[in-house]
Amino acid sequence: MSALLEVGGLTVKHGGLIALDDVSLTVAEGQVVGLIGPNGAGKTTFIDALTGFTAPARGHVHFEGRDLTDAPPHERSLAGLVRTFQSLELFDDLSVRDNLLVAAHPPTLWSTITDLFWPKSHDSAETHGILELLDLLPIADRLPTELSNGERHVVALGRALVSSPKLLLLDEPAAGLDPSETAELTERLRRLPEIGTSVLVVDHDMSLILGVCDEVHVLDFGRLVASGPPEAIRTDPTVIAAYLGRSA
Amino acid sequence: MSTYLGYLLAGLGSGAVIASLALGLVLSHRTSGVVNFAHAAMGMYVAFAYFEFRETGELVLPFLGLPARIYLLPRPTQTTALIVAVLLAATLGLLVYLLVFRPLRQAAPLARVVASLGLLLYLQEIVRLRFPVSGAVATRHRPVLADDPIDLLGTTVTQNRLLLLLLAVVAAAVLGAVFRFTRFGLATRAAAGNEKGALLLGISPDRLGAVSWAVASVIAGIAVILIEPIAGISATTTPLLVIPALAAALLGGLESFAITTAAGVAIGMVQSLILGWAVRPDTTWLPDWLPTTGIQQFVPVLVIIAVLVWRGDALPDRAAVSGRRLPPAPEPRNVLAWTVVLVGGAATMLATAGTELRHALIISLAFSLLTLSVVVVTGFSGQISLAQLAFAGVAGFASIRLTEHQVPFPVALVLAATLATLIGVIVGYPATRVRGMSLAIATLAMAVAIEELVLASPPFSGGHAGAAAPRPFLLGLDVGVGATGSDNFRPAFGYVCLGVLTLAALGVVNLRRNRTGLRWLAVRANERAAAAAGIDVTRAKLGAFAVSSFLAGLCGVLMAFSVTTLSPTSFLVIGALVAVALTYLAGVSSVGGALLAGALAQAGIVTTLLSSKGGGDADTYVFAISGIALILTAIFAPEGITGLVRDRVASLRHAAHRAGDQSPTSAVARVEGGPA
Repeated sequence: MSALLEVGGLTVKHGGLIALDDVSLTVAEGQVVGLIGPNGAGKTTFIDALTGFTAPARGHVHFEGRDLTDAPPHERSLAGLVRTFQSLELFDDLSVRDNLLVAAHPPTLWSTITDLFWPKSHDSAETHGILELLDLLPIADRLPTELSNGERHVVALGRALVSSPKLLLLDEPAAGLDPSETAELTERLRRLPEIGTSVLVVDHDMSLILGVCDEVHVLDFGRLVASGPPEAIRTDPTVIAAYLGRSA
Repeated sequence: MSTYLGYLLAGLGSGAVIASLALGLVLSHRTSGVVNFAHAAMGMYVAFAYFEFRETGELVLPFLGLPARIYLLPRPTQTTALIVAVLLAATLGLLVYLLVFRPLRQAAPLARVVASLGLLLYLQEIVRLRFPVSGAVATRHRPVLADDPIDLLGTTVTQNRLLLLLLAVVAAAVLGAVFRFTRFGLATRAAAGNEKGALLLGISPDRLGAVSWAVASVIAGIAVILIEPIAGISATTTPLLVIPALAAALLGGLESFAITTAAGVAIGMVQSLILGWAVRPDTTWLPDWLPTTGIQQFVPVLVIIAVLVWRGDALPDRAAVSGRRLPPAPEPRNVLAWTVVLVGGAATMLATAGTELRHALIISLAFSLLTLSVVVVTGFSGQISLAQLAFAGVAGFASIRLTEHQVPFPVALVLAATLATLIGVIVGYPATRVRGMSLAIATLAMAVAIEELVLASPPFSGGHAGAAAPRPFLLGLDVGVGATGSDNFRPAFGYVCLGVLTLAALGVVNLRRNRTGLRWLAVRANERAAAAAGIDVTRAKLGAFAVSSFLAGLCGVLMAFSVTTLSPTSFLVIGALVAVALTYLAGVSSVGGALLAGALAQAGIVTTLLSSKGGGDADTYVFAISGIALILTAIFAPEGITGLVRDRVASLRHAAHRAGDQSPTSAVARVEGGPA
């Protein structure tokens, strides 16, 4: 089975600071892969670099065999490499349904012109499907600002899923969730490969990562310090050192 | 050689003024984060007040509703007058900060831009209304500085230019030293870095803001007083000195006093050199159609665009997502009913009303297309454009030239609007790299460039005389506006305007209800998230600029055919500010807001109805009042009038719903049902 995502030697510099140092990893189709690491390890920078929000100094990003290293963010998204944000970044002016609808279809010049003359072409099958799948139908017409934190997380997930991405990059999806909401999220993530979406999830929450992932990578000070199945990572001395501090 | 050196040195005066104004911009930006478009207008008011006081001993106050003048002294000396001017300037700066910009410290960039535009309009009108000398060129007053010639480097330069330069340099040096070496400077730098942190350290950003606005205002006032004998001052041109000043301030990164001053002086000198060069009889390579003053104005514009685009980023960085939003853009409801009522009402009015009211309605209908263009670009896609009227101007004159060449009126309408679209996309290009306040600056600069280079070009616009449109025909019917006597402002032309506006407004309604509009709103709400959702942010912004400038173009064509002769002065930048202002006031993110703004246009139906009832004052004060209204709206009702009405209706509906339905909502049930 060929790799869906193949990242090679990815290096990102913020001024003089090396935020990511020569990171290479692959995600195969149907996998749920975790990326953990302490605060400031470069996890969000990694997602930023994969999705075009930060330009890498070196390295490449190949997705389904296509070189996306220099592609702008929206092209990567349209190619099926879709991310979420730690701070969710919902469109606060738009209803839940419209938040999803915006991400549902790539526009064409023709659709822009017909939009001028056609009164309404709302609600697509995909949008409805995702709203249903994530139990968002009851709140579909509300604004994100009126929702609870847990509901907002689900909307962010829905917006990322509505374009049927091949790989979903989740940036701390459990941040601010209570244990029952985290459990629900874990269950949802586990089922994503069934609908054709592989997952790369970044989080501090060991229970989420170790509970849902087929493979886990550990990032510390911008470097990949360990990779392997969850059971191995749980007991890896390097990982324990990264989280609890190094012994002298 | 020495001729060119002479041109350069002659530019020292205006260069020094540009530098002084730029220093004030940097100062107020560093302490309060506001780029004040009204900065030069504040200096202009102080200068007018100074000269008036010096002549008459009367102090002219800038407040509507209060007495216009207070008599202070019989024959003030120059020193007394200068002291009064300094005090007046300091008070003005203080008031402007405390009343306008302090309340807006946390507001969205557009609210601050709008407030400073409101202030600009207001001060400009105060000067127009309250000072006897306010024509294009003010008469020469007794100058403060002597203009004795001094020999320098083999050519001569007047003393006052050198003294002005000295003033700018000293001001920059003092400001630089204060910021570097004093507690005040340290506090300002701390507050700029982290306002909350500064508060925790016991530093009040308010006091810093107040002091620096007063200082900035004093420097501006003195600079404009001193430049008057060299360049003259006027209510039309002096406020626009803010553009070269912005160019200088941007070159200094809105941060460095030294670079800003040097850049300001350099811009003034280069402008002077270009002007000197262009007017020389032996300069033959310049094409005739290029207005010489326009090339001169183009220098700061180029600087501004270059700096902004070079510094800008395609997407804002992680920290830059602003907390405050534009007013929500609700999905239009009851479109059919509104269309029937409004179109029916307007058609009835055209058919039955008298000449005056028909004229007013035609003006409002055409102006609504302009405000609709503001709704599309600003309300929907979140991009501030101050160049909409310039697009209208280009289309207006283009349509005249086209119909002169036998192009049928409807074809010319579309072609001219398409030309405006092309220009709109070019002007909108910086929007793909800069946002908020910077974009407002860039589009304002572009608008001035179009005004000076294109609209002032005699072969295109007819220059001062303007151009007259041929009589338009639609499907063989005469739809011209003109007729003799009370038949003038023929309903036929009104129907054309109404038809064009109806189609355009319905198109915009459809856009809002469709995915294209949703995408623009997504970009407006959060560019990073929009890009992550697969939206091409660049294309969305340029698309919005394209649609918007097409609408502005339609407005320009209708304007061209609604007057006997179309003059370039119909498209002055200040008019564009009024359009943005009125749209913001009426409600910038809805089609209803655009239509209301159209009704509120100068000489439109609302002011005409008011002045026919209320003695004709409404029209005189419309700019001044809309200036104040704008500031108040920015502070108290960022959603505009239509937003206020909508909220009112919604809360009434909510109350009615509450009263009728006693069952608690599910959210309430969940909270109440939870463990106590």
